Amino acid sequence: MKTTLPVLTGIGSVTPYGPLAGLIPAESSGPLEPSAITAWTTLGLRRAFLVEPFRPASIVPGLKTRRLDRLSAWALVASSLALRDAGIDLGQMDRSRIAVFFATGFGCVELTEAFYQSAATYGWAETDPITFPETLSNAPASHVALFHDLRGPNVTVSSKSFAAESALLQAASLMRHGQADMAIVLAGDTLTQAVYEWYETAHLLSPACFGNGPAPSVGGFIPSEGVVAMVLEPDGRQAARPYAALGAGRWAAGGDARASVGQLLGGDLPDFTICAGNGAPCAPSPLTCLPRELVGEDSTIFPAQPVASGMGEAGALLHLLLALSRRPGPGQALLLGTSAHGGYAALRLELF
Amino acid sequence: MIDAQKTIVVTGIGVVSPYGIGLSRLQAGMLAGQCCLAPATELYSGFQGTVAQVGALPSLHDGHHYSRSDRLAMVAARDAVADIASSCSSFRESGIVMASTVAGLTEIDPEISRGPAAWYRHGGLLRAASYSVSRVAASVGECLDIQGPSCAVSVACASGATALVLSANMLLDEAAPMVFAGGSDALCPFTLSGFNSLQALDEEACRPFDQNRKGLNLGEGAAVLVLETLAHATRRGARILAVLRGWAMTNDAFHPTAPQKDGIGLASCIQRSLEMAECSIEEVGYVNAHGTGTPLNDIAETHAYERAFHGRSRPIPVSSTKSYFGHCLGAAGALEAAITIMAMRTGVLFPTLRLTDPIESPQVDWLRGKLRRQPLPVAMSVSAGFGGSNVALVFGSYRS
Repeated sequence: MKTTLPVLTGIGSVTPYGPLAGLIPAESSGPLEPSAITAWTTLGLRRAFLVEPFRPASIVPGLKTRRLDRLSAWALVASSLALRDAGIDLGQMDRSRIAVFFATGFGCVELTEAFYQSAATYGWAETDPITFPETLSNAPASHVALFHDLRGPNVTVSSKSFAAESALLQAASLMRHGQADMAIVLAGDTLTQAVYEWYETAHLLSPACFGNGPAPSVGGFIPSEGVVAMVLEPDGRQAARPYAALGAGRWAAGGDARASVGQLLGGDLPDFTICAGNGAPCAPSPLTCLPRELVGEDSTIFPAQPVASGMGEAGALLHLLLALSRRPGPGQALLLGTSAHGGYAALRLELF
Repeated sequence: MIDAQKTIVVTGIGVVSPYGIGLSRLQAGMLAGQCCLAPATELYSGFQGTVAQVGALPSLHDGHHYSRSDRLAMVAARDAVADIASSCSSFRESGIVMASTVAGLTEIDPEISRGPAAWYRHGGLLRAASYSVSRVAASVGECLDIQGPSCAVSVACASGATALVLSANMLLDEAAPMVFAGGSDALCPFTLSGFNSLQALDEEACRPFDQNRKGLNLGEGAAVLVLETLAHATRRGARILAVLRGWAMTNDAFHPTAPQKDGIGLASCIQRSLEMAECSIEEVGYVNAHGTGTPLNDIAETHAYERAFHGRSRPIPVSSTKSYFGHCLGAAGALEAAITIMAMRTGVLFPTLRLTDPIESPQVDWLRGKLRRQPLPVAMSVSAGFGGSNVALVFGSYRS
């Protein structure tokens, strides 16, 4: 194994599969069923892929999250688990050279709602000063920097349909250009009443959100939540146990995805294709047939998983984690995100 | 010998500021020493403070719902296109990196918290669709019919400068031939109320770097810069406004809102950007500071300059142009990059307004009073934000 590409050496996650370091165990990595929402009053049964409540300090000793929203707390837990999984001793590293990249669709929406609640109750002149800074989208990434004392670049991005893919690509870019030695890439969102009810009012939800039947693969989506963190290092650390190396990639808001991804692949078709649908209904999209059309019949395709698609633009890291958890074996892979709104994201990976 | 494939240049600038649309209006206003900050009482009940507002915006894409932050971004992007139109016929494959912190918060009403579904059914559905910060970048893409990589950045008040850094890296990666990069933020009760709750606002016009400073004023606006490699710009015969010679991003990892008092994180950021630019501390002719006017920021920033420029033979000239039109949050870094380039091209350094009793620092040459005219081959723009993020951009003039 000899490569100069950024290497994925650690994974941590807080998802509907629970808080985990590394891959999802085989016995629990199968399809999940959505759970009933109880965090707010719903008009009848409403379901989603939810993170079960847990005590962060029981996973990461010493972690204080009382004043944080779930997104920041999960980011702290997931980043800690990813570093643990990578076997990294931050004390031995130059922390000013470690970047944090966080991808999110809605950011700290829980505390944003709380801030609106305080404005509705007390008026704009009497809002809560503790809550306000935590409503900023970059709060989770800055808490990760603060907790781990990481003084390198700290960036929060959002990208219609492809936030997680763009974060991976941009973090790898920072490393490639010598602007960071290592990066922790995180992607995630939390599900709140306002977000869920927006989906419902917009008629975007799957029938499975309203009943007890199995999750169908088409016709709306099932919202999901969680944070996945991945550690990217340059190749060469002796103790590293790498999952994959990141190769070239690109993403675009439109244009000819077939031509562009085809150009990225050249004549070198991947052994595995990991589909990362964005959660919106995509059956009408001509891009749904893109993976098979691009990679031919010989590539093993990991279809988009509802639990990851439900996380929208932050879902790609969970798609990748789920595919890696299937232990596909060594080979070339393509992480391919497509969107019903047009656009694509494609990233070449070498799986170890 | 410079590598034209690895040299990032700025070839267009679009601006919406409280002075109006276009860099020329911004320049005319600032040359005249005009301050756009004014008392405002109608932003929400109970608010009494000073802000800088942009006037009416032209209508865009009728039939679509865009937040005010989206619309500011779209107007600035169109202005950037107008700025490059003479030399560019096609930019469909360009990238977009837009920064925002407010984004669609302008469209959300506190009533949403009493029952989201009801609020959506009564007209809120479309308005809430503009909530995500990614909508700002997507709106620019829709407005200009650009289909390259599109990304939004939210790094608090360092967002706009971060957008320029990410764009530069995208160009180095050949992810797009050109990138429209900048920031946009509108005034809204949410942020006014938030900063007010933190007691960070000065009720009167702010006084950055003054010993008697009391806080910041919020403003609104947008700036979009067109970035490309020198090789690409030369090929298409573009007018080159400046070279982005170096950049760096660091984090204080110190406190969720307060900057590191001794300015170590920001100083390190400045030093790294100069290393990348292969530029000595003597060569920098001007720093456009973050300079919010808050007690904590300005002293920490002063210490950062003292550290970063330690050993320089003469004090480093510094000013805060937030004293003209307030703190435009996610747009600030991009607007200030535009002003820094404007200063380089005109040879005019803009003083900080109302700076009568500056923080004592023998290593800093506080620009105040009259405009200063001098050749400016290298200048720097510095940004910082909640969450501890720092960004430094080093611009150089271009000689073919």
